[in-house]
Amino acid sequence: MRQVKHSEVLTVGVLVLLFAAAPFVTGDEGWLYLAALIMTWSIFALGYDISFGLTGLLSFGHAAFFGMGAYAASWAMLSAGLPFSVGIVAAIGAGGLSALVFGFVGRRVSGLYFSLMTLMLAELISIVMTTRLRHLSGGVDGLPGVPRPQAFGIDFFNAANFYWVIFALFCLTLAFCAVLKSSPLGQALRGVRQNAVRSEQVGFNVGALRLTALTLSGCLSGLAGALLASLMMYVSPQLLGWKMSGDVVIMTLLGGSGTPVGPVIGVTLVELLREGLSATTEHWYGLLGVIFILCTIYLPEGVAGLGRKLWRR
Amino acid sequence: MAALGSRSSSVLSCQNVSVRFGAFQAVNNVSIDLAAGQTLALIGPNGAGKTTFINAVSGRVSLAAGRIRLGDADITNVPVHRRAAAGLGRSFQIINIFDQMTVLENLRLAAQSRAFGWQPCWRPVSAWPALERRAREVAAMVGLEAELDLPVTMLSHGKQRAVELGLALIPDPKVLLLDEPLAGIGHSEIEPTMELLQQVRKGRSVLLVEHNMDVVDRIADEIVVMVGGEVLLRDRPSAIWNSAEVRRLYLGSEVAGHA
Repeated sequence: MRQVKHSEVLTVGVLVLLFAAAPFVTGDEGWLYLAALIMTWSIFALGYDISFGLTGLLSFGHAAFFGMGAYAASWAMLSAGLPFSVGIVAAIGAGGLSALVFGFVGRRVSGLYFSLMTLMLAELISIVMTTRLRHLSGGVDGLPGVPRPQAFGIDFFNAANFYWVIFALFCLTLAFCAVLKSSPLGQALRGVRQNAVRSEQVGFNVGALRLTALTLSGCLSGLAGALLASLMMYVSPQLLGWKMSGDVVIMTLLGGSGTPVGPVIGVTLVELLREGLSATTEHWYGLLGVIFILCTIYLPEGVAGLGRKLWRR
Repeated sequence: MAALGSRSSSVLSCQNVSVRFGAFQAVNNVSIDLAAGQTLALIGPNGAGKTTFINAVSGRVSLAAGRIRLGDADITNVPVHRRAAAGLGRSFQIINIFDQMTVLENLRLAAQSRAFGWQPCWRPVSAWPALERRAREVAAMVGLEAELDLPVTMLSHGKQRAVELGLALIPDPKVLLLDEPLAGIGHSEIEPTMELLQQVRKGRSVLLVEHNMDVVDRIADEIVVMVGGEVLLRDRPSAIWNSAEVRRLYLGSEVAGHA
């Protein structure tokens, strides 16, 4: 089986163990919050990589799926008073549906035109949500008080307890991505990225495959958005902005797209950098830019690519 | 009626096909019928519209006018992937394969597109033995058994051509469109590729674009000469080589050996 390499299984295993060990190593709420944030963004980046790394669709509009997921979950829990689990399902649905709409609108364009179209659609949603739909989105102030799960008498407002909810969904996402990648559908998506013309010629409906990939990617993005809203207990239209889309692209590329650990490593690097530097300098984002540029020149396959090279030696 | 008779037995029937790129008429009112089991070669100078015609048949470019039928079905407005699923295979002039995969992965992926539409997605692709069996069958047919686990980028040009042909053969198509299957092939590889083509064309209809007249002479049942987007002549090879008009417009000295 060539799709699942031993090195990949090993690195994913180490990664999962590290996150599982965190609550036992530290009881510090700040560190647990950071680890939970990294897992949440990792779900987003892993979802993004279904579109980018697997299928070759460079989207600049994933913030829309992420943000709509966050809002769908918040509305379901805050306005309708539905339980957390329903909020999560609503978020997955909202993320997937937004992606389906994006994919349908962009079904005739590809390459850079597709990227720009996703950027514009996402900005459109962001602007409409901050202006016309201010009563729904809370405007620039956002909606405070997004709840966390209430079940089995466990206090999920305790950082450690909610950590395990995110950890479980993070593991499910990793498993989902691994299964997808080695499945016939995953192979077909790989084929579409490598050679869309040949894929069509051997009988694949390339348009439908691209739409499927973008929708799955949107579902995971929506899930991540809901978790972030619940983690921060707050949602705002900032989650829909282009900066979110940019961040997920940078994280995925920095870590290495097309691998199960790459996006997670990228997210970890960026979040640690933010954590370490944002307190000392407000220009930390500029430093990230420099690192990103150096990475694209010297590590085109990301940090995970560097790891692969060292592994082979 | 001869015309009626040939239509009923033809597996591919193109009637009055025209293709335009802006003001340029690449293919002009071309009607070509392909009978069951027939190998038809399409020859002509560069820019004669041969590849454009192949693209029109496989669905890559849309027609300005005309109809195309595959068997009993009108496929004029059918998208590429459904034409392929209906039994229309093609190879490309420039190697067009999945370049970050091994030979086995290439062939297995091609087999997959016909095996199922919506499949249980949790089973890894390697858990479908039928796919691998078909991939190995075709690999044996095109002489790639020894290279199955090699990345295709490590293969020689001739072997990459074999992968290209294998991808077209996986679904066992009724009609095969071969666009210069010998393009870029080294001299020593021409003879084995020839034998492969001879074997591949058995039991199916082939529309072949080729510049190597020696190969055309040996495998084509009939030849269509295209010049300037139009059909100049259709006849048996021997008649084509002796046509003064074909020689003047296209073959020139190339045919000296046959004359």
